[in-house]
Order: sequence, then structure tokens, then C-alpha cells
Amino acid sequence: MKKLLISVVLLSSVLFGQNGVKPVDNKLYLKECGSCHFAFQAGLLPERSWVKMMNDLENHFDTDATLAKEDYDTIMNYLKVNSSEKAMNYKRSRKMTNSIRGNQTPLKITEVAYFVDKHNEIPLRLITQKEVGALSNCMACHTTADKGIYSERAIQIPNYGRWDD
Amino acid sequence: MRKIAIMLVFITNIFASQFNPTIQEYINTLKKEVKKGNNSFVDFSIKNGENIFTSSHIGKKGEKISCTSCHNIDLTTIGKNIFTNKLIEPLSPNKNPNRLISVKDVEKWLRRNFKDVYNRVGTAQEKGDVLYYINSK
Repeated sequence: MKKLLISVVLLSSVLFGQNGVKPVDNKLYLKECGSCHFAFQAGLLPERSWVKMMNDLENHFDTDATLAKEDYDTIMNYLKVNSSEKAMNYKRSRKMTNSIRGNQTPLKITEVAYFVDKHNEIPLRLITQKEVGALSNCMACHTTADKGIYSERAIQIPNYGRWDD
Repeated sequence: MRKIAIMLVFITNIFASQFNPTIQEYINTLKKEVKKGNNSFVDFSIKNGENIFTSSHIGKKGEKISCTSCHNIDLTTIGKNIFTNKLIEPLSPNKNPNRLISVKDVEKWLRRNFKDVYNRVGTAQEKGDVLYYINSK
């Protein structure tokens, strides 16, 4: 029975792709981007968004996030190779990609239609409370966000608890 | 008089040797740069560094901010990026052995954080002063 279950899970992941988003697997990206904020997975935005963002690191959300040339090149390449439209076998990358119109180049993950749709029922007070601060603070509620898993059962909102959609 | 001078140089070297060798080299280049424009320059100052680190300024975001806004007054404590809520490991090299190790990292953070807090890059004098202050913690 257990074997059968495992086979079904394996088969469905082959047929329907992976569930979350590909976890960050680049040490430099983790270090350079993750020291100021959650290291958002590359598969959460399309290539054109990452390129636009990387083109103005001097004014990165009103902060200077400039990098040494060699690190810049490595990270730019990592983002391009792993951007959302190149990771369509991952559910979240697919949904994010499909919800962005061709003429849009979002810089904020939190403004992508799929993301907005997934978060629009959360009361503002739960977002602005000091334990969270902003929707960009993934780990505050998604306890497994760093593993690329944003499933509902891994949600734990501070001072609220589990979230049922 | 000469003996005193030698003693002074010796004492300064003891203090300076607290930096790791690669950072010390960086400090030396900063010193050379300062001397170019200021003949009377002797050494960087922890006291001036403290003022740079703790005073408030209108930063890059147009808000009043100081280094301590994110790194705390006590450099041995865990700080928090006030804009992203991301925790910041202690800046004190005594508390956190990963600090003041790599010149590349030091240059990067000085460049970024002077802009964040002062909305401009730091001068060689300011960089040296603030590194002396951080290293003293």
C-alpha cells in the first residue's frame, strides 16, 4: 500500500510537474541577495523582470545593492537560467508566469496577479504587524518558503495561526 | 623625543594589528589616500567612527536613519533591517568572527551603507574611522 502511494506521488510529479518553486541552489545568490531580504526564488519572476531589476541595483527599492562585477555576472546568469518561464514544471513558477501579461515587467513579486490573488483576503493588520511587516517577508508566515514550498499547510501567520483559504 | 616617537609608532602598530592582515592592508590604502589631501593626518579615530556610526542623517530613502537603526547601539547584538525585517548578524568582530574578514565584503557594505544612511559614498577618512570603531567593539 505504501509502495503504491509512493508510486502514485512519483508518477503524478512526473506527469504534472513539481509543486512549489525550485529552491535557491546558488550560494552566491543566497549570500548577496539574502543578506538584506528573503532570497526570493528565481522562479518567482520572468527573465525580463530580473534583467530590469539587475540593471538598476544602485536604486534597488531605494537601497544601494550594487555588486562587484564578477558577482553581478554570476547572479545575473543564475536568475536568467532559473527564471519563472524556464521553470514551468514547477507549479508556482507556472502560475506566476501565466498571470503576467506579455507587456508587463513586474519588479515586485507581490504585485504579480497570481500572488495578489493568493494574498488578497489576508487582513491588513496581519501583514503590517511587527512580526511580518510586509508581504515580501515570505518566511514570516510561509514556514517552508526557503525550501520553495508555499503550500497552505505550511502557513503559520503570527498571532493568527493557520490559514484556510 | 625620538624614543617617544618610536613608542608612539609601536603602540599604534599594536592597535592596528588587531585587524586581520588583509583588512589591515585595506586600512593602509585608506591611510595613504587620506594623507594625499591632509599632511597632518596621523591615524583614524574610534571616536570619530562612533559619531559616524551613531549620528542620524537623511538617507537614500529620504528618511532619517543611522547605522544603529539596523545594527543597534550595541554591536554585539543581532540587528534587524528596518525596511525588510531581515535579521542581521552582529557587526562586532569579537562577537561574530565573520566580520571584517574580506576586503571585498567590507568595501561593498561601506559603499552601500554610506549611501543608505548618508545618501553619498564615504570618504577614505570616514571609512577608516568607522572601521576602527567597529573593530573596537
